[in-house]
Amino acid sequence: MATQVTKHSDRNLEKKDYCLIPPVDIYETDNEFVLKTDMPGVSKENVEITFNNNELEINGTLHEADTAGENLTYREFTLCNYNRKFLISDKINVEGITAALENGVLTVTLPKREEAKPKKIEIKSE
Amino acid sequence: MFTTYDLFDDMLTLRNMVERFFDETATTRRRVELPYINIYEKDDNIIIRAIAPGVASSDVNLQLTDNTLTIEMHRKEDYADRPYLRKEREFGSYKKSIKLPYFVDPDKVEASINNGILTITLTKHESVKPRKITIK
Repeated sequence: MATQVTKHSDRNLEKKDYCLIPPVDIYETDNEFVLKTDMPGVSKENVEITFNNNELEINGTLHEADTAGENLTYREFTLCNYNRKFLISDKINVEGITAALENGVLTVTLPKREEAKPKKIEIKSE
Repeated sequence: MFTTYDLFDDMLTLRNMVERFFDETATTRRRVELPYINIYEKDDNIIIRAIAPGVASSDVNLQLTDNTLTIEMHRKEDYADRPYLRKEREFGSYKKSIKLPYFVDPDKVEASINNGILTITLTKHESVKPRKITIK
């Protein structure tokens, strides 16, 4: 399960830095690339997706209460802010990128440009 | 295929296997069952938080027996029938039992899933709360 959020570095745990790399699934269809990532604890307002120089960056910030260890008696997981970057090819139509967050699962849809979509080649008969 | 057999190759492979076995066990591998939970205690309440991204509330089963709480959940795969470039997320069924430090009121259990985190709030039962005894 997603639970397996890889810990990037322990050093920044106390600061408001990014230290979790969320696990991701990426698949390709004829018209788009779909990216799904598990970011438990993050609400819609706290997700930031930026696209810059072919780099897609996903940032998820957690609420103070989720990271605080107040009254904690037993710990198996530590949550902190999420960050992950992806290098995206020129084939993507940047304006068409959409994202949805449901139950801690973020889905980003990256549509392909018209010229990158598969084309059927007609065979002419003589 | 076109190389000659070297006994030392096999020996090195064996040595690597043994080394890897010791490297990967004990300290480096966390033996914690899923779902991962955190327990918070405040006054007469116990709050259990479990990581459950993509889990619908209908796929969670909670059972309270005496002072043992069992969390059972199923995370459905959302795989598409398409070629995958990357597959890192985990799916499946998980079960975990938690022994509570005291007897809780079975009528006052509250549970909710928000943003992929399951929160269960339990309250101490009246019968186990400290009581003042008056001397006649």
